[in-house]
Amino acid sequence: MPDYKKYQCGVCGHIYDEAEGDPDTGIAPGTLWEDIPDEWRCPECGAEKSEYDLMA
Amino acid sequence: MQIVIIGSGVAGVSFAEKYRALSADDDITLVTWEDDGYYSRPLLSRGFTKTDIEQTIILKPFDKLRENNINVLCGAEVTAINRAGKSIALNGSWSHRFPTDCDTSAIPSSRQEKTLQYDKLILAQGSSAFIPPPFRPYEKLFFCLNSLVDLKALRKFRQGFLSQNRHPDWAIVGGGLIGCEVASDLAAAGDKVTLFHAMDRLMERQLAAEDSALLLKVLQDSGVKVLLNQAVQGFIKEENKVCVRTEVTAEFDGLIVACGFKPRTELAELAGLEIGRGIKVNQYLQTSDESIYALGDVAELPNGKLYAFILPIRNQALWLAEFLAGQKQDSWTPPVFTTKAKVHGFEAVHPYNV
Repeated sequence: MPDYKKYQCGVCGHIYDEAEGDPDTGIAPGTLWEDIPDEWRCPECGAEKSEYDLMA
Repeated sequence: MQIVIIGSGVAGVSFAEKYRALSADDDITLVTWEDDGYYSRPLLSRGFTKTDIEQTIILKPFDKLRENNINVLCGAEVTAINRAGKSIALNGSWSHRFPTDCDTSAIPSSRQEKTLQYDKLILAQGSSAFIPPPFRPYEKLFFCLNSLVDLKALRKFRQGFLSQNRHPDWAIVGGGLIGCEVASDLAAAGDKVTLFHAMDRLMERQLAAEDSALLLKVLQDSGVKVLLNQAVQGFIKEENKVCVRTEVTAEFDGLIVACGFKPRTELAELAGLEIGRGIKVNQYLQTSDESIYALGDVAELPNGKLYAFILPIRNQALWLAEFLAGQKQDSWTPPVFTTKAKVHGFEAVHPYNV
């Protein structure tokens, strides 16, 4: 089982969990952060992918 | 059932969409004074470094909500809540009859009164910029940054300088969250920025003292001139400049007042609902009128807190939709969340006070 990570949006606090993905925006569960397209944006505030940081 | 929502920010829109998903039959009407669509309020703080922000900030045009069977009355001002008759009075041009756009400027200015009945009313008007009383007489001299309309006005003003190949010289009054974020973004966009703050450290209400010091350094390194312990007395208009009066007088091209926010409680107050800093609600987000609920920046919980951040607001909105659809019985409890100042290059080490 892969070691899934979580990333947090620096603009609104939304958490992207690789294990859960984000099905509403077309990101399947288990999608790794680096496999999300660069155009993908925070589903809650619209911030760009580059605004996210890896959570400790 | 007739559900009426006032406000098209994250609270109102998240509630409307979730409730629609849970209940196909009830009528949902969302009333808003905005015309541009549902946009991301946090991204206002990135309004100068992002060139395409006026488009990318829109998360959903109102027509997308209409396709989802949510009736949207945009460009509408609610003038009263009639609790006895369970209706609201509003004033607008009814641009919802023109489904392809919401640009009411093209429609003859035939503003009309209208009454809308509700079974449940959701108040989600958010907040406006707080202007300290001593600054109110000077309202024509400064900008605020609280809405997309404000951002567009600021960008247009700024563009006037850029098109003459120069960057404006800004004064920002207020070293709280918004003031620091805007100072950071303007500096990152290449403008000259002076930040005036009344207290001896930045964001003193949210940050631990060491983090305030770190934030000060980050802002200074990005070129922002930070002036602490400043008693700003007022502003003076000089030809093409505006002056900030403290013990000395300094002149700038543009002025932004960022002294906090004020929940829009006026309508609720006129209707006789219980008001504190916000509209008082119980643990079920219900106001002192059992048919009226409040969400987001305007809702003051029994612990005295207002949860003015995206994460808890969305949580409230989704919870209320489930509760009103009969799918939740337990009261709302705040989620665990952290926030951070959107200052380029700044990471607070300690958790915030909210």
